[in-house]
Amino acid sequence: MSRLIDEPVKVHQSNDSIITAFIWRKRLYRVLDVVGWWREPSDWWNGKPVRFFIRVNAQNSSTGTYELYKLGGQWFLSRVLD
Amino acid sequence: MDFIHLHVHSQYSFLDGASSLDKLLDKAASLRMPALALTDHNRLTGAIRFYSKARAAGIKPIIGAEVDLDGGYHLTLLCKNADGYSNLCRLITQAHLSNRDRKPEATREMLRNHSSGLIALSGCSKGEIPAFVAEGKRDKAKEAACFYREVFGKDFFIELIRYPSREGVSDSYRLASFAKEDNLPIVATNNVHYAEIKEYRIKELLNAIDRIIPASQLEGYRTVEQYLKSQQEMVKLFRDLPEAIKNTEEIASRCNLELELGKPRFPKFAIPEGESDYGYLRKIAFAGAGRKYGSLSDSIKDRLEHELDTINKLGFCSYFLVVWDIARWAKSRDIRCQARGSAVDSLVVYALDISNVDPVAYNLLFERFMHPLRYEPPDIDLDVDRRRRDEVRDYIYQKYGAENVACVGTINTYMARGAIRDIGKALQIPKTIIEEACNGIHWLSASRLMEYADTLPELKHSTVYKKKELADFFKLCTAIDGFPKHLSVHLGGLLIGSGKLSDLVPLEWSGGGDIISQYDKDDIERLGIVKLDLLSLPTLTVIEDALNNIKQSRGIDIDIEKIPRNDPAAFSILRDGKTIGTFQLESPAQREMAGRLLPNRFEDIIVSISLVRPGPLKSNMDKDYLPRRHGKEPVKYLHPKLKNALGETLGVILYQEQVLKVAHDLAGMSYAEADGFRRAMTHERTEQEMEKMRDSFISRAVGDGIRKNIAEKVFEQLAAFAAYGFCKGHACAYAITAYQTLWLKSYYPAEFLAAVLSNQPMGYYPSRVLAAEAKRFGVEVLPPDINNSSDRYAVEKGAIRVSLKQLKGMSEKALESILSARAERKFTSLRDFVLRTDVSQPILENLVKVGAFDSLGNQDNLLLQLPKLSELKHKVIRGTASLFEDTALEADTSPDFSIDDRKSRLFIERELLSLDLSAHPLDFCDSDNGITKMRDLPSIPAGRRVKLVGSVIRYETPPTRSGKRVVYVIMEDGTGIADVTVFSDVQEKCGQVLFRERWLTVKGKVQRRGQKATSIIAEELYPLSRTERSVVNVNSGVQF
Repeated sequence: MSRLIDEPVKVHQSNDSIITAFIWRKRLYRVLDVVGWWREPSDWWNGKPVRFFIRVNAQNSSTGTYELYKLGGQWFLSRVLD
Repeated sequence: MDFIHLHVHSQYSFLDGASSLDKLLDKAASLRMPALALTDHNRLTGAIRFYSKARAAGIKPIIGAEVDLDGGYHLTLLCKNADGYSNLCRLITQAHLSNRDRKPEATREMLRNHSSGLIALSGCSKGEIPAFVAEGKRDKAKEAACFYREVFGKDFFIELIRYPSREGVSDSYRLASFAKEDNLPIVATNNVHYAEIKEYRIKELLNAIDRIIPASQLEGYRTVEQYLKSQQEMVKLFRDLPEAIKNTEEIASRCNLELELGKPRFPKFAIPEGESDYGYLRKIAFAGAGRKYGSLSDSIKDRLEHELDTINKLGFCSYFLVVWDIARWAKSRDIRCQARGSAVDSLVVYALDISNVDPVAYNLLFERFMHPLRYEPPDIDLDVDRRRRDEVRDYIYQKYGAENVACVGTINTYMARGAIRDIGKALQIPKTIIEEACNGIHWLSASRLMEYADTLPELKHSTVYKKKELADFFKLCTAIDGFPKHLSVHLGGLLIGSGKLSDLVPLEWSGGGDIISQYDKDDIERLGIVKLDLLSLPTLTVIEDALNNIKQSRGIDIDIEKIPRNDPAAFSILRDGKTIGTFQLESPAQREMAGRLLPNRFEDIIVSISLVRPGPLKSNMDKDYLPRRHGKEPVKYLHPKLKNALGETLGVILYQEQVLKVAHDLAGMSYAEADGFRRAMTHERTEQEMEKMRDSFISRAVGDGIRKNIAEKVFEQLAAFAAYGFCKGHACAYAITAYQTLWLKSYYPAEFLAAVLSNQPMGYYPSRVLAAEAKRFGVEVLPPDINNSSDRYAVEKGAIRVSLKQLKGMSEKALESILSARAERKFTSLRDFVLRTDVSQPILENLVKVGAFDSLGNQDNLLLQLPKLSELKHKVIRGTASLFEDTALEADTSPDFSIDDRKSRLFIERELLSLDLSAHPLDFCDSDNGITKMRDLPSIPAGRRVKLVGSVIRYETPPTRSGKRVVYVIMEDGTGIADVTVFSDVQEKCGQVLFRERWLTVKGKVQRRGQKATSIIAEELYPLSRTERSVVNVNSGVQF
């Protein structure tokens, strides 16, 4: 099961561009590992670009799985997997 | 470890692959890939050029295809060797030919029969095994795997494709585990459809076009991952399965196809027992020459021996026999058939009666056609009477067997207009915008669309190209420039194999039901397969029809090959530009040349045909030649030795054959060497190559006693000319046909123009212009008549009777019904016609309206009778009325709604016959508004300003020396033709009108070149005035 969120987040990346943490609703989530990544085709005929997704295990008060995507330089939290 | 892409689609996966071969190979080269496969859907169309291009790029080409199987499954096949290539050709051919009008499908039986030399990969997600595994049907997957392993043995692999997605790559894991269980080898591919990730949009767009749906409604799996990934990306994707990566190398190492390109493969001609090809060819060539020349002089004997020796040494005897046999068969059935092109330079071709041009009389050089240093298949193109071309084609099929003959395929590709229309539809761009964008676009390449939109006057005022919201749309249009849309039949090209064609060439059905090669003519040539161009030439049909017309109307039997070639009457109409309808001499450029050249001998026609070409005109050859021809400039030669080569053209180089002679006479080259020299200069060459040729020519000329400065000057002339010269042999062949039409038109205008009208569409001018030309030649053109018109235009007491076929909507069935009923007895009334023929009501009504029944009654009354007659006919058919019932119909008189009004009649003629018989729309314009009639132009002094009004027949934009576009507009006004020249400044000013309006008002100056060539230099172009428009558009119903 997953919950659709689609809210902007702030992402911390290491020098080699690996996501180490993100901030969502003012709370910091530390990335433990990257579970997967993919790119999704968009409605390009409406001018929308390809979206790059990343699925991570991250920890706040507890550990969870989160899907983030990048669009035009801005990162978004797409969904939270229960 | 190297990863090799083994499953790659290019643009030749029609409307699925989104990258050109060049793009794929460039990317592969930039990624340092040692090998690359090409596996287009069910076709090898791109294979030959891929093979050559990949090798040139230092990449090992692996040829294959993704074939559709019974049940819609896919299978990836790769050729290990020549045996595998042949099997793939056979398999693809069978898959296509056994499924006419449906998608090609290979059966298991076909796979079993053609597996040798092929490697099979289980395919994409549409593969049989991957599909069964994904559906959880492991038993079925096992059964399929068993079959493939049995057929392909160790050359069968499970293909793993991984496109990262939200769902992961679970299918690939399941498939890998299936392979492991069954002990099947695995291999990684990426089912590549484009070189770069961003091109996924193009792929989706092409798919939408293919399915005729908007891109937004594309259903099914979508991905952006089908790009040519780097080795690192692929290794990373399959890091858990290194074997899958390693096996790509293993498979690539097994694929070592060597295609023998360029080696001619001739069909075998069956010769009499005990004869050799050479011996037989020699025998018939000498016999033919004897018939042509009587006793053979030593020089003719020597030339024949020389040509035969060359043909024999090159191994082409069989090919000459094949062509000789075809031409002989055609002529034995009175089918006009003759060679064109450089083959006409050969005495053997003339002696075999393949050509009607005597190469000795016209000083033609065999080496321009063939010589030992030019080892490539000979090319004898045959022009055949259009109406009977299929008879000749059928003979070839019957003689060589249907399995050994096919039509050459041609690839129809996207240009600007098609791209705008198809992409516009896929992106749901409003129709009005698409129409506006297409308006003014004709033959423009899509890749330069935006450049044209900025520069061409007819486009740059259009607002659509400037709309920001459409920028991406136009960018997509440019991206598919040159992409294949479909395969069709090449005009004329026939393949004759040396064995079964499908061993070497994949074949499929064309839309029209012909079997065609998947390779185009260039790749066919690369493969060395003999291609015979059997071209339909409507002019030959016209000549045949004209001769028949003359025989019928005047009882004169003419042998057109024996007419005198210096008839003053023929040259008179040529000089006066009255050449509409003739072969090669009717274009505005030719008419203008005739007015300047003032031809009075046959050789002038050869010159004219050679001069009026983009190249010679661009290089101003006409300006060098014409003053000498008219004695206004002295004939000079840079060296006396040039007189032999250039004497016939007064010291100016006009023909390619002359380059050979100059190089031979001045630099001591053999003719074969000289042709190599000519070809080298014709092709694109580097400065260094040019310098090398220059040095060689000059040093050899100097060695032969020519002064260096003279040798240098001659070389410069040759260099300037070489790219533009015309083959004299070809010009001779065309000049003979052109002259024959000229002669026929000058002596028998009615018979000739009736023949031209019967064979429309052909040539430059539509029927109404040809009919107007007949009137100018004093020949009346009569409307169709139900008792006198036939299926062709006929000559009736010196006038031309319009054919019944000219009627809009006339069907073959109706025509046949009319002609067969009339063959029994003429029609006596409309009632008689209705009861004895099977003609639909709309056709019948149209026949009455155009006056076809005028000899049988009043048109209005006849029209009023139609419903009653139709009812009567139905009753007769149902048996509820007798043929003799209701005779009162004949006497039925009605109020007189006379349509005998000239405007209405003209409206009907234009609408239903596309002719202006009774009048011309401009006859109804006010003649006192300063408009000049086109017939008066020849008598108006040069420089005078005139105003013309007329309809546009066609636009032309030939290349120019300066590179600036000049537009030639051919117009007519019913009294004559005007050739209007529009230079760039007027194009700028009047861009909105050019190419858009079909009726124009032109203001300009009369220009006269030479004594007789008249044209108008446009100063202003504008649409017709409201009044004029109302006349031509409303009253006469002119439709565009």
